[in-house]
Amino acid sequence: MPSTVDETSLKRKRAKAPENPSKRTKAESSDEEEDRQAEILLLEDEILKSKKNYNNITVLLGLAKDEDDPETAVFATVSVCRVFLRLLASGSLSRKAGQSERETVVIQWLKGRLSDFKKHLLLLLGDEDSASTALTLSMRLLKAETQIAGDKGESTFPKVFLKEIVGVLISNRFEDIQEEFCEKYLGEYADVRLYAFQALSDILSNRHASSIEDDLFDSVFDMLSFFDRVPESNEELGSLYVDLPKKKSDIVLSLHQQKKHCQSAWLALLKTNSNRQQRKRLLEIMAESIAPWFIQPELLMDFLTDSYNAGGSLSLIALSGVFYLIQSRNLDYPSFYQKLYSLLDCEILHSKHRSKFLRLLDTFLSSTHLPAALVASFIKRLTRLCLNAPPSAIVAVIPWVYNLFKRHPLCTFMVHRVIRDQEVKVAIENQGMNDPFDEKEEDPMQTKAIDSCLWEVVQLQSHYHPNVATIAKIISEQFTKQWYNMEDFLDHSYNSLVEAELSKSVKKPPVVEFMIPKRIFLPNDPASGAEDNLFVKLWEFE
Amino acid sequence: MPGSQLKRLKASLREQGVIGPQQSKKQRRKVAQNGKVNTNKRAAALESIREEFNPFDFKHNARGPKFQVTSNRPVLGDAAKGITGRPGDAKAMGEERRRQTLLVEMNRRNKTGGIRDQRFGENDASMTYEEKMAQRFVREKQSHKTSIFDLEDDEPMDGLTHMGKSLSFPDRDDFEETDLLDPEGSDSGDESVDNQRGLKRLREPDDMEDQVEENVEGEPEKKKTKQEIYKEIIAKSKMYKAERQAQKDADEDLREELDEELSDIQALLFTKPKPLSNEDDESTSKPGDSGRDKMERDYDLRLRQLAMDRRAKPSDRTLTEEEIARRDVEKLKELEDKRQRRMRGEEISDSEDDKEQNVPDAQSAAESPGWFDEDEEEDFKLGTGIRTRPTATDLGFDDEDDFIVEDDLLASGSDLEPIESGDEDSSAEDNEDDQDDEFTKGLLSEMEAHDSAFSKEGDITKNETSEISSCPETLEQLLNISCNLLPEQIPPLVQKVRILYHPKLASENKTKLASFSRVLVQYLFHLSNTPNPPPFATLESVIRHIHSLAKSFPIDVSEEFRSRINDLTSRCLSPTLGDLVILIAIGTIFPPSDAFHPVITPAMLLIARYLGQKIPKSTTDFVQGVFMSSLALHYLKLSQRFCPEFMNFCLNTLTSLAPTKPGKKLGNFPQHEPVSGIRITDATEIEVRRSKVTDCIVIPKSGKEDLSIKISVLDTTLQLLDTASQFYAGKPSFIESFEPVVLALDHLTKGSCKSQLPAVLVGHAVQLQKRLQTMLAVSKLARRPLELHHHRPLAIKTAIPKFEDQFDPDRHYDADKDRAELAKLKAEHKKERKGAMRELRKDANFMAREKLRIKKQKDAAYEKKYKRLVAEIQGEEGREANAYDREKQARKRAAKRG
Repeated sequence: MPSTVDETSLKRKRAKAPENPSKRTKAESSDEEEDRQAEILLLEDEILKSKKNYNNITVLLGLAKDEDDPETAVFATVSVCRVFLRLLASGSLSRKAGQSERETVVIQWLKGRLSDFKKHLLLLLGDEDSASTALTLSMRLLKAETQIAGDKGESTFPKVFLKEIVGVLISNRFEDIQEEFCEKYLGEYADVRLYAFQALSDILSNRHASSIEDDLFDSVFDMLSFFDRVPESNEELGSLYVDLPKKKSDIVLSLHQQKKHCQSAWLALLKTNSNRQQRKRLLEIMAESIAPWFIQPELLMDFLTDSYNAGGSLSLIALSGVFYLIQSRNLDYPSFYQKLYSLLDCEILHSKHRSKFLRLLDTFLSSTHLPAALVASFIKRLTRLCLNAPPSAIVAVIPWVYNLFKRHPLCTFMVHRVIRDQEVKVAIENQGMNDPFDEKEEDPMQTKAIDSCLWEVVQLQSHYHPNVATIAKIISEQFTKQWYNMEDFLDHSYNSLVEAELSKSVKKPPVVEFMIPKRIFLPNDPASGAEDNLFVKLWEFE
Repeated sequence: MPGSQLKRLKASLREQGVIGPQQSKKQRRKVAQNGKVNTNKRAAALESIREEFNPFDFKHNARGPKFQVTSNRPVLGDAAKGITGRPGDAKAMGEERRRQTLLVEMNRRNKTGGIRDQRFGENDASMTYEEKMAQRFVREKQSHKTSIFDLEDDEPMDGLTHMGKSLSFPDRDDFEETDLLDPEGSDSGDESVDNQRGLKRLREPDDMEDQVEENVEGEPEKKKTKQEIYKEIIAKSKMYKAERQAQKDADEDLREELDEELSDIQALLFTKPKPLSNEDDESTSKPGDSGRDKMERDYDLRLRQLAMDRRAKPSDRTLTEEEIARRDVEKLKELEDKRQRRMRGEEISDSEDDKEQNVPDAQSAAESPGWFDEDEEEDFKLGTGIRTRPTATDLGFDDEDDFIVEDDLLASGSDLEPIESGDEDSSAEDNEDDQDDEFTKGLLSEMEAHDSAFSKEGDITKNETSEISSCPETLEQLLNISCNLLPEQIPPLVQKVRILYHPKLASENKTKLASFSRVLVQYLFHLSNTPNPPPFATLESVIRHIHSLAKSFPIDVSEEFRSRINDLTSRCLSPTLGDLVILIAIGTIFPPSDAFHPVITPAMLLIARYLGQKIPKSTTDFVQGVFMSSLALHYLKLSQRFCPEFMNFCLNTLTSLAPTKPGKKLGNFPQHEPVSGIRITDATEIEVRRSKVTDCIVIPKSGKEDLSIKISVLDTTLQLLDTASQFYAGKPSFIESFEPVVLALDHLTKGSCKSQLPAVLVGHAVQLQKRLQTMLAVSKLARRPLELHHHRPLAIKTAIPKFEDQFDPDRHYDADKDRAELAKLKAEHKKERKGAMRELRKDANFMAREKLRIKKQKDAAYEKKYKRLVAEIQGEEGREANAYDREKQARKRAAKRG
């Protein structure tokens, strides 16, 4: 029985307690201190001996609240805690049938003191120095408080007290304490977790402020994202912190309930008007940590679609969350591809999320059932963006285009279009071909990209970087390869390209310009007839 | 037609004389006389006829012979007659072989020991007994003498000695026993000697002796003992050694002789203009045969001189001016051709450069109609890319602009390994002939030809050069030397070093100059990075010197430039003046149009990186950026390659320096929001001037100066775009690339901007815009739909079997090589297995037959013995019975009588 274990541990504590001061006397030889502590111990003993000495609790509480002598105050706090633990264990605070009025009064009084003490503990919890002790004490008290049986003699979890504790914890940004709480209690005990989630969602939903403070958001975010992995079975939930009757513990120990409460906590956090930065943080862990908690991921839809519609980098990050919903929940995102198409703006190939985005894009467009016109729009749009993109982006886009061509052979008209109609042919001969692609059109089905040609790729074949140019040439080669493995091309950067160039050792003597120019910085003699180079024309060297 | 089988048999029998016309009695008697021989002959003839006529002794193909066409191999011998085997012969052969091996083994079964008869000629039936004996005797005589104490040894050799004196009898003659003891008159003296010396041998049994003799004589080679063989070998090797020694000694003698003569030869070789007096002395000292001696020596001398003389070569014809010009044009054309090829990225296989290095580069790999392999991605030479590392977000960076920061964290140090000196040497040598080129010669101005440009300066610093104690091989050394010099004196100093340490003067100068060329690159960087950089004329001539050195030491110079580039990667976005000068130097020293170039490619990447990632925050940044843009254009001038970053930067410069923000998006380039206060305002009064390079590093002091720099930046950008538009006019996407430029220019020349910019600049912008608009119109007209895939269609894999010209039905044509091999092996195994089983079966048959035969023999012998015994007994008993009967009869008779 856990209760007996507790009992013994308490006894041990008590047995040890008197020793402490004596040690201290030796160490510190502070008589006054010793006296006070001895006095506290005496008071404590008296309380436990007889009901008549209950008034000592008030004295001890007074001592505990004493701000002048913090050490004694801490000692007194611990002492009061012990007293209450003993009292709670002995059932002195629980109401029983057939008690006399006087006894009821005593119990009422004791309960009043207990709540005083709780307040005191919560105060301590708000103070950085004593928070750790206060946390331990309050959690112990929390455990003992379960013993106060209700009228029906059934123990319940002291939700209110936990909510207060959690409230204090998240309102102050003491990262150590929060981490301690998460590691020691939240991660370990299923019941604490469950009710803490509940408390969090209550606290967040009762807030009236229009926007959430950074600290509060960070605290809640940290606490909720403490679990990077969602437990998959009831066994993984952990043990119980307090003894609860079978019926209740069943509720606590069910994965469904846990998920439900966690979901509501997350939802409460998502519903707060978080700013852009906070949203980014949320979105980044969305697919991995948040969404798996949800029993009804549909609830995430609002948040995700809002973020997705927000545009810019937020949309990019939200994309993976939306994709999760589409994949796992069969979310029907109206005009998803249109939205995706609109993400292809001039920033995308310069963004640091580029490779992540391209990976997702590759997934979205991997279906062979997509209409060719839509695929063509994506191809055309991305190749056009490549005209202003860094080489590392071009290197990723071209093989992707190749893969799409292989998957949608209809699109290959974009690189090979023989005009059969004589009239049209003559018209093109005379006026040149107008690019039918409509850049402004937002619907990828309507852009007429499929009627256009990829002149951009041909231009990239004369890219200054030889490797990029070589890769661009695969489009005009025969399509003999089945597909290119995108992973080989996605993660490049200027630096990796330069590094690759510089890591090759020079084996054969490089070619040196044959002619040594007469002038480099200074203008040539007009008489010599040599042409000045570009610098001399544009710049003044002095 | 030979007729029927019977007729043929008769004919052949008659032919052999087995049957014939009736013979007369006389004839028959005659035949009977040499009867035995005849019967033998007859039997042989009959055997052959039987063989010939037994149709079952040949194996024929069951369905008759194959047609000729079924095989492409010529049919020979038996196969031509349709005979595929001779079972009779084969059986006989097998039987015989078994008798020789298996039967022997069978007989020796369960037996150990035995005598091997190795007597000479024992098994040779062709030898008569006498011959055998004679041979044996010869062998015996030839047998070795094993020991000097061998009593049977007939020759005494030195015999026994005592105190060095021979104990042998002085002569054999004094005790002639031969006559006494030799009764037969001794056909051979040796035998008589045998008889004389020891009788022991005589007592030995004859066959024993025979055997010993046989042993000696049977196989003479084998009978050499090991010891003997070794002795022989040792003797041989000693002999060779002695020979070698002798040869060596002879050589040594010869050499010594030559050495003695060396002084004379030397005298001949080196003291050509020998003072006459010397000769006179000699002549005086040796008045005798000096005349003849001298003549001979003179003759030798003359001969040698003639031998040493170089043959006269026909001199090159003096070329006319036109011819020289044509040659120059051709040379230039060739160079241009080479450049073009390098620009296209084709591998140049120069006769001198790289015959062996025809490794297909990525481009040719991509160009070849490739059956691409899965692993061909490597061929793009992109490098490993960013190693799987946390994205920038994880690291906490949040600027939208790419991987700059994290990459810099990971930028490795110098990856360049020094290249072996041997390589350098060879490469330097390769370029030796280049160096003799007239242009270089002029620049080098070794001893004789002083170029006017350098000779003047050379005079000035004549005294300084004497201070150069050694070739500067580190930057510090060069700095020590040059610290007190005026900037103008630096190029002469460099030139002096190059002259003093010209590779032709000493062999180690080559390496010295190689490291000097490296130092010079560092020096150039150092020089332009100093707070007060020397005038550009100085830098220019240093660059030209590096260029000239690069021709001799291409690897060293390029390595050094590459390490500069490597340094630059870390501070790519904030280059110093030194970096810019280095980049210019790279652009002039190396051909920037090359598709793949170990120095140009990374340098260009760095320039593009600056243009792509730098977000200009100050005026200086803009100046630097515009300078980088002009560098990029310079690099791409000849090849006219496309640089997206260049366009981006120019467009961004136009939009961010414009006095007002453009109302709408101008194009697909990522537009940066300019820092406040960077826009040009109120600059109508500012004069448009050319940008100065020094603006790249010097921060403008006053607002006006700042404005004028900005205006010059704008103006330069316009010029750059103008140049670029000419480069890119023919590109297929010219319209898409330059439409944003037109829009930006439109914005610049419109109301709100126009009023704040100098009129001249606006004029330039308008001009450029007009020009661009015409170019765009032209480009639109010239645009045609793409037809990139006019490739030869790929063949579909055919299922029709391949036709074999030389089809051979005996062969298996399996396309799958492994399977064919396996089938072959299996067939072979099966055949062998069957053969082995057949052999075993035959062996068993043979053994059974043999056993039966032996048993039969045994039985027969037993039977015979039995019968004999029975007969004997019966005979004996019969006699007894007779005797009994006789006795009985006799008794009966006696009784009758009696």
